[in-house]
Amino acid sequence: MTDPRAWIGLLIALPLASAVASYLPLTLDRLRRLMVISAAAMLAAALVVAVSPPLRAFSVRTDVLGWASGAEALVRIDALSAVLLPFAAGLWLLTVAVTPRAALDRAQLRRTAVATLVTLAAFLTESAVALLVLWLASIWTFLSALGDPSHRHQRRIAAAYLGFSTLLFALGVVLLIGPGARSARLEALGVWLLAGAALVRKGIVPFHAWVPEVFDHGRLGPAILFSAPQLGAYVTVVLIVPHASAGLLRLIALLALGTAVYGAALALVQASARRACGYLFISQSALVMAGLDCTSERALTGGLVLWLSAGLAFAGLARCVLVLEARRGRLDLTTFHGGYARMPVLAISFLAMGLACTGFPGTLGFVGQELLVDGAVEAFPVLGFAVVLASALTGLAVLRMYFSLFCGRAETLAHAGLRLGLARREAWTFAALVFALVGFGVLPHPLVDSRIAASDDILRARSLRLPAEATPGFRPPPAGDGGQTEAGSAGARDRELDGRQPVMTHQRRTEGVEAPRGQSATMRALRVAPPDRPARNGWRPAMPARRLWHDPDSRLSSRHG
Amino acid sequence: MMTSPLAGLVLAGIGAPLVLLVVLGGASVLNRPLGERWTGPLAASMLTLSCAALLAALVVHGATSAGARLLSYGARSGGGDGGIALELLVDPLSLAFAALSAAIAGVVSAFSNRYLHREPGYSRYFVLLAMFVTGMLFVALAGNVEVLFIGWEFVGLSSALLVAFFHERPAPVSNALRVFSVYRISDAAMLSAAVLLRHAAGTDSLALLFGGAGAASAVALTQGNATLIAVLLIVAVAGKSALLPFSGWLPRAMEGPTPSSAVYYGSLSIHAGCFLLLRSAPLLAHAPAAALLAGALGGATAVFAGLTTRVQSDVKSSLAYASLTQVGLIIAEIACGWTTLAFVHMVGHACFRLLQFLSAPNVLHDLHGMEDAIGDRPARSGGLLETLAPESVRRRLFLAVLERGFLDSILERAVVQPFERTARRLTSLDRWLCGAPMSAGQPMAFEAESRDD
Repeated sequence: MTDPRAWIGLLIALPLASAVASYLPLTLDRLRRLMVISAAAMLAAALVVAVSPPLRAFSVRTDVLGWASGAEALVRIDALSAVLLPFAAGLWLLTVAVTPRAALDRAQLRRTAVATLVTLAAFLTESAVALLVLWLASIWTFLSALGDPSHRHQRRIAAAYLGFSTLLFALGVVLLIGPGARSARLEALGVWLLAGAALVRKGIVPFHAWVPEVFDHGRLGPAILFSAPQLGAYVTVVLIVPHASAGLLRLIALLALGTAVYGAALALVQASARRACGYLFISQSALVMAGLDCTSERALTGGLVLWLSAGLAFAGLARCVLVLEARRGRLDLTTFHGGYARMPVLAISFLAMGLACTGFPGTLGFVGQELLVDGAVEAFPVLGFAVVLASALTGLAVLRMYFSLFCGRAETLAHAGLRLGLARREAWTFAALVFALVGFGVLPHPLVDSRIAASDDILRARSLRLPAEATPGFRPPPAGDGGQTEAGSAGARDRELDGRQPVMTHQRRTEGVEAPRGQSATMRALRVAPPDRPARNGWRPAMPARRLWHDPDSRLSSRHG
Repeated sequence: MMTSPLAGLVLAGIGAPLVLLVVLGGASVLNRPLGERWTGPLAASMLTLSCAALLAALVVHGATSAGARLLSYGARSGGGDGGIALELLVDPLSLAFAALSAAIAGVVSAFSNRYLHREPGYSRYFVLLAMFVTGMLFVALAGNVEVLFIGWEFVGLSSALLVAFFHERPAPVSNALRVFSVYRISDAAMLSAAVLLRHAAGTDSLALLFGGAGAASAVALTQGNATLIAVLLIVAVAGKSALLPFSGWLPRAMEGPTPSSAVYYGSLSIHAGCFLLLRSAPLLAHAPAAALLAGALGGATAVFAGLTTRVQSDVKSSLAYASLTQVGLIIAEIACGWTTLAFVHMVGHACFRLLQFLSAPNVLHDLHGMEDAIGDRPARSGGLLETLAPESVRRRLFLAVLERGFLDSILERAVVQPFERTARRLTSLDRWLCGAPMSAGQPMAFEAESRDD
């Protein structure tokens, strides 16, 4: 099966079929088993898409929903989205596999499938209008989970914040595809509105108060599934970074850096485990946002890696809290709960995923934070160190939670007759997640390579739209290319590259030549030299060079849109 | 890529404890911890292999080359199909310290195998010991700041988790969190120094920075940058080696099992900072203000710890402060540029203190044996220093060092409480924004539990 449309159809069909199956007269256990199988199949299919180059270059373009600068990809798989698809599938699998039986109901399972479907569809498009619709759909799915009377207050708060973000998003889209298409000023205003929407959705200070409240007193499971994929980050990458002025991006990055420290600091003093999770999410989400908006290639790559690592690690951590709550009730961090001996796998998983959140060496989080801190300090020589501070505080907050929830007491705060150990399904899921985080931490090369390719695509789109504000170290393709991957222009660009230095100027050190300033060993280590281009003057082009030279053609050859 | 016997030996030396960590840690994650029957021999064989390989590497290096060599594994092939760059800086200093670390860890592993027999956390202990040895070897052989930072973090986390080894009691857990909080300051300083080095000098290679005399200027560091980086390194070292003003965590760390106290706070972990500063001697030479700061911190710590150790009422705390006295002196020696003396002092002290710590559980038994042998109590030694000070000064000094310099309460009032107050107010503000009444919040967990203790 080399037709991307078939794979996309399969990816959509699995959660859709699961949602439909929830209306059938199946027992809850059977329905859950069905969903676990669907989610596992979806994850496998998404991984096939992610690792198959022919499947990663597909788009269906239209100018019906786009704005003046060209046709938008209504459906596409590219370097950015290819890895986000297994990410969405993995989150769904985690959700359905470890949701405690006590919190399991038919509507809840159906919502997980619908939420996954919405996330998947969002990751497959870059159309502003389609994203607006999916944005609204994801909020509706989340708010519907807070429908019972006991969560009315939280529903109202979430609806107010998220409704405001949707309003900003809608106004921004209207400006961009309407009058903004002809006026630079209105287009800039539209991008500011989109940025406001993303900030609210991601809980960036001062628009953050709803997140800990919803985590603390709302339903934790839907809150995790709503927040972990970070649709706000996706909108930032697809709609904001390519169009926003450098000033706006710097402002967002500064807000995000402050939020990262703020969230981690407040997570450290919370009395409620749920609320601490909320602040941890704010911090992690802000770190991703900071990476995406630092206008540096390295920070952007770090942000993209951190998006995956923080999303998976945070979702796992919060799921551990949920599983623990099902056994002990509401978790208070002002006392020790003990119980390590009765649930060691849960304790180890909690600690491992918490450490991945903090960027501990040997986990994927370390790679992301290493890249991010480099890029952040490059963009903000003083304030960039906020990443270091946030990481230190997050580590403390995680260890405090671990000690409080699993240590400090010989007998756990639960009835002796209760079975506290994990079910086999839960244990294997947590273990698989830990191995994935550690595995990609030890061998990050394929994933980071793909994220660098994605960050190049984003920066290339930005440099084509805003040539005056191109990222330092990044040169756009030659004039006349127009940013479209059309056959003629791409071929012309490829031919032109044959006679000069590669487009990327983010070069790597080779023996005997000093490295560019500020380049970490990790970045150097993760480089990929172009297979068919010799080094020139002792310098080699950056990793994405191979892709930059050959991708347009490969895209065209397999495009079906 | 492995191109020489030296590279292979070093890889075997550093890889053996890493394999141990992966095997024992993986089994724990899968809830299939290896039993004592397998864990002890596996740890012993891996650590023996590591020590032997590193000793052989030391011999091979001495026979084949005189200078420092940078070994790179993993990511340097032309096709770019590598992984993380594991760059190791190999010279007699690093190889000797690495071999010493592996040897001491092997001794402690053999001791622990009997000491922790049938202890519920036996398997967990060896996972953390493997993480610690791996971290120490990374610190000893680091060729770039990433490898150094990885080792630094491994040592810190394993240390905190071993302090909380007896985690069914609240006190070790509270103390572990305190220890970890200081380590996080140390880690943040280390990471900041690494990032600053990379951006100021355009390199993260320790070979260029710490490789030899004059190397600091070779990477074009300005005086200001060199001083700033050196100060950050000193903060990192101060946190990890319990120098003033971070000495308060040291007695808290004695909650862990005795073998771990021996290997961490008697011999290796507490010297990791000394070793880092020793490698940084060229940088300190380039930043005299930082060298002065290091010397002052080392000297002050030596005096403070020397006085404090005399009034401790338990043997492990007394040994820990005695250890700190020597660490302060070693730091002062490094600051004065006496690097060879500092290295010999460090190695000798690490071995001697290890022996003292490991025999600490037997001290009463040994004393009784000695009394039986001589038929009386041994004569009291020392006390000369006390007679030199006037009575009023002696009394005040006694009270001050009995409270361990009031360091904990000073940090509590100056840092912890303001931070906590501010964070609670901000939490209340967030709640208020969502319609909840403003409240003062609740204390942090370790505070609440500490009061119960």
